[in-house]
Amino acid sequence: MIIRLLSAALAAGFLAAVVVTGLELTLTSPLIVAAERYEHQQTHQAERGLPIVLAHAGHDHAAPDAAPEWQPGEGLPRMAFTALATLVGAVGYALLLGAAILACGREPTRQVGVAFAIAGFASVALAPGLGLPPELPGSEAAPLATRQAWWVMTAAATGMGLYLIAIRRSLIAILGGLVLIIAPHVAGAPQAPEAASELPAALAAQFAARSLAISFVFWLLIGLGFGWAWQAFARGPARGTAHA
Amino acid sequence: MTTSTLAPVATGTRAAERPVAVAIAAFLGLGLLFMAGFSPAIALHNAAHDFRHTQNFPCH
Repeated sequence: MIIRLLSAALAAGFLAAVVVTGLELTLTSPLIVAAERYEHQQTHQAERGLPIVLAHAGHDHAAPDAAPEWQPGEGLPRMAFTALATLVGAVGYALLLGAAILACGREPTRQVGVAFAIAGFASVALAPGLGLPPELPGSEAAPLATRQAWWVMTAAATGMGLYLIAIRRSLIAILGGLVLIIAPHVAGAPQAPEAASELPAALAAQFAARSLAISFVFWLLIGLGFGWAWQAFARGPARGTAHA
Repeated sequence: MTTSTLAPVATGTRAAERPVAVAIAAFLGLGLLFMAGFSPAIALHNAAHDFRHTQNFPCH
């Protein structure tokens, strides 16, 4: 079962990564590159001294105060690393999806895979996105650590809430699940400072919409792929070796 | 009693294997996601930059 789970997650992750890398490179990467021009204008206009911002200013080789941190070269190397990161993330999500399906005692089929994938999308894309909308480089935002903490807590609480509602299904569980899903938003996401950003609002809005759409496709493919691969690996030689 | 030993043993090993598989997959999955989405190392951040933004991981 361990080998089958890992193989199915690898297959699903690879499938999703191939398609989603194409979507990222055509739909969101051009917007990120466009936004970085505004980001550089901002960092040159006013030095805020945030190390995180300086790391990005490294894109501009003329920036004298930027530490020469490694980054992929523009063009093809950058695309290749985006593809690699997408593959790593896709396999990671596929492993978690498979773990969740098995932990809930379900048999992974394509239908079950898609159902869990929609829950995964809601947990890590939709719910955190309500408080922290997908943002371009150069947007104003609260400190990274607090946003990451809120993101992780919201994703975990939403996933647990959906589990209580969809799998447990008792009245208490459903109420508890609703509380878990709503609580992070009542507590509120870390707010960005009021300072105006040079970034055009249309660019940011387009990016947020595309980002969520791509996340949805990402999860659907991971779910479909995992269900398909799990079934396919049962018919193959895996079944023979499992009992040998 | 002896006739029914085979099936319970088979399901027993499968049931015991499931939590192990879940734990390994969860551990590996969280590790990969941390690397791709959360690692503070600047080289990793820069490499995964466009992926992080698109998948709405908190960035910078």
